[in-house]
Amino acid sequence: MKTKVLALAALTTALAGPALADKLDDIISSGTLRCAVVLDFPPMGSRDANNTPVGFDVDYCNDLAAALGVTAEIVETPFPERIPALMSGRVDVGVASTSDTLERAKTVGMSVPYFAFEMAVTSNDKAGITSFEGMKGKTVGATAGTFEAIALEKQVKEWGEGEFRPYQTQADVFLALSQGQIDATVSTSTVAQANVKTGNFPGISVVGKAPFDTDYVALFTNREEYGLINYLNLFVNQQVRTGRYAELYEKWVGGDLPDLTVSGVYR
Amino acid sequence: MFNYTFHWNQALKALPQMLDGALVTLKIALLSMAIGLAFALLLTLFRLSGSRILSGFARTWIEIARNTPALFQIYMAHFGLGSFGIHLSPFTALLAGIAFNNAGYLAENFRGALKAIPDTQTRAGRSLGMSAIQAFRLIVLPQMLRVAFLPITNQMVWAILMTSLGVTVGMNTDLAGVTQELNARSFRTFEFFAIAAVIYYAIAKVVTLAARLIAWRMFRY
Repeated sequence: MKTKVLALAALTTALAGPALADKLDDIISSGTLRCAVVLDFPPMGSRDANNTPVGFDVDYCNDLAAALGVTAEIVETPFPERIPALMSGRVDVGVASTSDTLERAKTVGMSVPYFAFEMAVTSNDKAGITSFEGMKGKTVGATAGTFEAIALEKQVKEWGEGEFRPYQTQADVFLALSQGQIDATVSTSTVAQANVKTGNFPGISVVGKAPFDTDYVALFTNREEYGLINYLNLFVNQQVRTGRYAELYEKWVGGDLPDLTVSGVYR
Repeated sequence: MFNYTFHWNQALKALPQMLDGALVTLKIALLSMAIGLAFALLLTLFRLSGSRILSGFARTWIEIARNTPALFQIYMAHFGLGSFGIHLSPFTALLAGIAFNNAGYLAENFRGALKAIPDTQTRAGRSLGMSAIQAFRLIVLPQMLRVAFLPITNQMVWAILMTSLGVTVGMNTDLAGVTQELNARSFRTFEFFAIAAVIYYAIAKVVTLAARLIAWRMFRY
């Protein structure tokens, strides 16, 4: 009798299946992968003439969705809203050029780096700034909440003169720069070149490199979703291995392909 | 669906920084009210002046201030004037935007308050030998300010809350700016925003209570 009951209980459990599906399961069974992408950040993310999202991050999200066998949904999130979007369950994964700082990793789970930025100084031609050091004592700005904004503000404090202004979007930074409200900005070199090239912001030019550390950016999702993070890591690895990373880089940025590994240490 | 563990002790470490930001917020709100009140009074006088140009100017100001978003007004003060080569710092642009908005609303409050004072009082004053200016200054104005006092405190609360729009023009020293920056650095969005909300609430509450106390002391018949 007892064994019969036990067998029945075991059978029921087996049929009911595992009680908890993780996020990876949820994405696959829902058939949609929702990516947080910043569409104010060309060439990583922007909108084309038809208002369709395009860019490196958009393609990357589509590749990820294809690998998972689901359809991709691009959810536009400005920089400061990436994490609230994830936490409130509006997106599954962030493909949003997010710097993998230790401070942030306390809140979200980061994959291995999928892209790396170098920082460039762009200045208003009238400000007479020709290098990074030339920004000392000037009014400078950057997009609030980005790696370069944090580094630049720290630098301004170290210099002890000049002023730092954070703007909410990358477009506002270049608008302020073009108007002369700020004298210079530090942004990722890809973004700087893309914005100067558009011709929307006259009177500015890229004047040099900023000596900040290479800004490695990672995909992110909820911190406890190890299954998904594990999948993302393998996906990033496969993108490089199959040459798709190089292909996308050539398509959107061009030039020397940034190395995604740091020598001398494991990740 | 909400999947988040709160780290309050980390967020509370930033409390002194946020309180410093709250002081800046209060400073901007107070300054913008002082400037707004002065301009509102001027606009009210313009309307009463009978001059078509002056009252037209006052009406245009009030129309724009009341019928466009404060965000737009602040944005225009920074980026709009900027495109004409007039560069206001984020602090000045925010202050100018809010003061402009305050002046428009307060002028309307004053207009309503003026209507509450019967014309016969002015005429009574005049018949006692007061000049028109004396009658306005000694009889109408004190009563008008009394009637308008509570709407003025209402606008003060609104001014405090409007300072949070400064982040759009690069303001990083007020409460919203400090909060936004702490959030960007650590991604602890909900803790920092909750603390900021409590601080905003406390400031607004203190202001209304203080105003009620003042009204109780000053306006007893």
